[in-house]
Amino acid sequence: MTYNDDLTTRAITIRDMPTTTRKPRLRKRPPAWVSALLALLCLLMLSPFIWMMLSVTKPTDVAFSNPPVLWGYQLTFTAFVDLWQTTYFADYLVNTLVVAVVSTLIALVIGIPAAYALSRFPSYISALLLVLALVFRALPRFAVALPMYDISRALGIYDTTFALAIALVAINQPFTIWLLRNFFAEIPRELDEAAMIDGCTRIGMLRRVMIPLMGPGILTAGIFVFLFAFQEYLTALVLTDTSSKTVPVFIATQLGQTLPMLQQAGAASMLLTIPVVAIAFIAQKYLVAGLSDGAVKG
Amino acid sequence: MKAREFWLLFAPSLLVMGGLLVIPLVRTVQWSFESVHYGSPGSFVGLENFATALTDPRFGRAVLFTLAVTAATVVILLVLGYLIATAINRITRSRPIVLGIMLVSYVLPNLVGAVAFSWLFDDNFGGVINRMIEFFGGNQVLWFTDQVPNGILVIVNTVWHMLPFAMLIILAGLQGVPTELREAGIIDGARAVQSHLHIIIPTIRGVLGFVTLISIMDVLRMFDNLIALSPQAASIGNESIMLYVYSVAFADGAQRLGLGSAINVLTIILILTLLIPFIRGIFKEAKAAR
Amino acid sequence: MSITKNRAFALTAAIAVGGLILTGCGAGGRTASKNATAVSCDYTAPDSATTVNVLAYNSSAVDPFTNTMVSSCTKGKVAVKHDPIDFGGQVTKTTATLSGSTGSYDIIETYSFVIPGLARDKKLRPLNDLFEKYADKYGLNDINKSMRAGMSYEGNLYALPMQAQMFVMAYRADVFDNLGIKVPTTFDEMIAAAKAIKAAGVMDYPIALPWLATSDIGTSFQAAMNSLDADFVSKDGTVTLDTPEAKQALQSMLSLKPYMDPQVTTFDQPKVQQQMFNGTAAMSIMFSGRMNDLTLTSNSKLSDSFKFAAPPKVNAAAKYSYDRLSIDGWSIPFNTKLDPDMLFVMMASAVSEDASKASIPAAYPARNGMVTADNSPYGKAATDSIASAMPPIASPVLASVTTEIRPILVQILAGNLTINDGAAQMQAVAQKIVG
Repeated sequence: MTYNDDLTTRAITIRDMPTTTRKPRLRKRPPAWVSALLALLCLLMLSPFIWMMLSVTKPTDVAFSNPPVLWGYQLTFTAFVDLWQTTYFADYLVNTLVVAVVSTLIALVIGIPAAYALSRFPSYISALLLVLALVFRALPRFAVALPMYDISRALGIYDTTFALAIALVAINQPFTIWLLRNFFAEIPRELDEAAMIDGCTRIGMLRRVMIPLMGPGILTAGIFVFLFAFQEYLTALVLTDTSSKTVPVFIATQLGQTLPMLQQAGAASMLLTIPVVAIAFIAQKYLVAGLSDGAVKG
Repeated sequence: MKAREFWLLFAPSLLVMGGLLVIPLVRTVQWSFESVHYGSPGSFVGLENFATALTDPRFGRAVLFTLAVTAATVVILLVLGYLIATAINRITRSRPIVLGIMLVSYVLPNLVGAVAFSWLFDDNFGGVINRMIEFFGGNQVLWFTDQVPNGILVIVNTVWHMLPFAMLIILAGLQGVPTELREAGIIDGARAVQSHLHIIIPTIRGVLGFVTLISIMDVLRMFDNLIALSPQAASIGNESIMLYVYSVAFADGAQRLGLGSAINVLTIILILTLLIPFIRGIFKEAKAAR
Repeated sequence: MSITKNRAFALTAAIAVGGLILTGCGAGGRTASKNATAVSCDYTAPDSATTVNVLAYNSSAVDPFTNTMVSSCTKGKVAVKHDPIDFGGQVTKTTATLSGSTGSYDIIETYSFVIPGLARDKKLRPLNDLFEKYADKYGLNDINKSMRAGMSYEGNLYALPMQAQMFVMAYRADVFDNLGIKVPTTFDEMIAAAKAIKAAGVMDYPIALPWLATSDIGTSFQAAMNSLDADFVSKDGTVTLDTPEAKQALQSMLSLKPYMDPQVTTFDQPKVQQQMFNGTAAMSIMFSGRMNDLTLTSNSKLSDSFKFAAPPKVNAAAKYSYDRLSIDGWSIPFNTKLDPDMLFVMMASAVSEDASKASIPAAYPARNGMVTADNSPYGKAATDSIASAMPPIASPVLASVTTEIRPILVQILAGNLTINDGAAQMQAVAQKIVG
């Protein structure tokens, strides 16, 4: 297997060429059926959300009718209003955001120097790290989460946003380092040496030269860690209860609710979906770069 | 770089990973040999938990189901991922919007996606897919109580969640295929199939291997989506290994932590076994590269 | 990739996230719930800021009491907090919070079925002293005596009764009238009615029962056994799961299956409601606390068509109806760190006379003589149901027996196990627990 090296160049190509402005090298337009199939595919991929969005914006008495009511109803946002006003949804959303932001910040602060160090160290360590990252990424989550639950209860930090955030930092750290290391590896070592000759210390150099150069890479890693934390269900289920509950955990406890609240659970899912989808669209280029560059190489 | 600098820079990260990944992992291994409850020290019972797990038909069924879903999902991901990546590789102007839409199911919490997904198939929520099947003259499908249709539902949902990832990686791989080969790839007809099979796919086999690896890892761990998609997973034999651990060691205040940990250890062994070829590949490559 | 572009991106991202936080803060706390009643809640407040966490599942019957507690007892530095949760969630959280020396909840909703087991394991605080102390002030002696007994174990009260729930049958009066079908009083009549409805082409699966494989199915089996004057264990504690009554109960349950949705083992009570709302079923039997939802025009276009009756008997010779009586109440977990007096006052005000009155018709309050045929659409059905139910057997092993036999029960009802083999397996499993 030799995919690592040739992919380095490939990944750079895709990352550095914004798809919107790139001049197509292959001028031949795709046949209509390809475009049609892709359009259909997009519709299929979105269909669960379209259906859910329709369901939660119908009046309650026809929301889940069978056969479904498709037209002739009054559009309503009551489910969203009730969700905001009668549940602690705002708190769950804030918890989810705090966990995501805090774990992203910590993950980057400790991950950047570690990734830099690894990118400048002999390769057998890097290979070992790669294997370790792989193994840690593959671990059954409960093998880590259940002991974390026990330990956090013993330490009295169970059900705090901090405990969940730091747990997610650790769980996502192998991926963070791995992604960042690949971005650092693209920066020539000569640059370090030049900066060091100019009198920078290693850490000063990292701060003043490397991090500005690494902007896109750090942004990519940050977006990924943020999304992973935002998505996390299993760890949050195990480590939270009343005071640090996150939105995915909340939604899971609403599946057996009766009608008006069931519709609110759908509304909660939609409210969680919208920002993530916004991020996906805005950060599309970075997600693609992260997936193809960082991920493929490691 | 000096060793001292290396460790200085690496220490904070190492500390977090050591404290929050390695220590819990050690605890899991220790628990797997104990009879133990949360919050109290356990007592050593030797291999009893492993014996219980390995003789429990429910564990066998969970392993079988998990492996079956993994195998099916990985194959579908590779085939669909490749086809879609090839198609997207040919569009230019609308590519960002298509990629953006494709990413939605990947960036969303798996559980939320599964809830939305289950509503399409559940008559109590309108069952829009069932109505379509009915319209085309099909019979009622028991998506939630019949093992095979439920298994299909789980696989379709998993594919839906992971397809964007597989497609993107393969797309990245395709971008690296030399232009002459790509020119060959866009000729329609029989020759195109040949060129895909004999030229393009062998060129990007490393990328395909990577997609396989990540997909295997992620599907083996599946848990979130089953909460919404398989309400009676255990009784129809569609329980994943992680769901089984959850139900013996956490759900409803369950306390069989020793058994749960033993299953975790067995799962780790299973995963490592499946990963061995990939790990060897990486080491070989590291040796060759530098 | 230029630096300006990155800045623009970061800015957009910050706005997206920031916008969310702003709307979140703008929403603020909870506004007073529509069905909360203002009652007096006079406790001695602690000096420091305190949060009282309440664990109670959401249903239209429990919500009025919970909401009253939250809105009337939150004052000064004391905040009463209740997170919405479904019934399954409450079951999970109850065991979890009671499992260690510290817990997350200070007041928990309990029901008569789990009281003996939790009391035996000393998971709940006995309430006798507090009951005496506050009986006059909150009129607690008007709470039905037998319901108090139902929440007691070995002479101690472990939960303050809030309401009773009993099985009630809801049916589509319009469909029944059109086809000239009488309200069924036995399973056989139910089947006959179902056949007639199916034959008329109104719907395929006229019967809907909550048979969720991971929860309600055990309660349904117990109700069928109760109809035959039996239970999972006898009064002296012997397991009776391979008796003729047990087998008859299983047989009767199986006889209903052809007339129910094939996926009935995924139906909890809300899903059964959904079947009624959607007009995909014409008869259902659920706990009374789920009935009021059916009568609300906001929930379904069919709300005017539902009528209520006591549940039928398993067969004509059966002594009682297919029925379960359950009492819901408030308990104080053993591991809360808060002042029990304060917690009890909160519980007492939530079940005070005003609060109880306001909960009708959604609930069937535990206070004497509150529900009549006039003030509740299912009032008469509820009273008839109580009269035809077997007096409950209280045993601390019932809850764990129910959990352990459930997987076997599901296999019997799925047709994967014969009644004889299944009954023998359930008997063996239950005997292991009883010891």
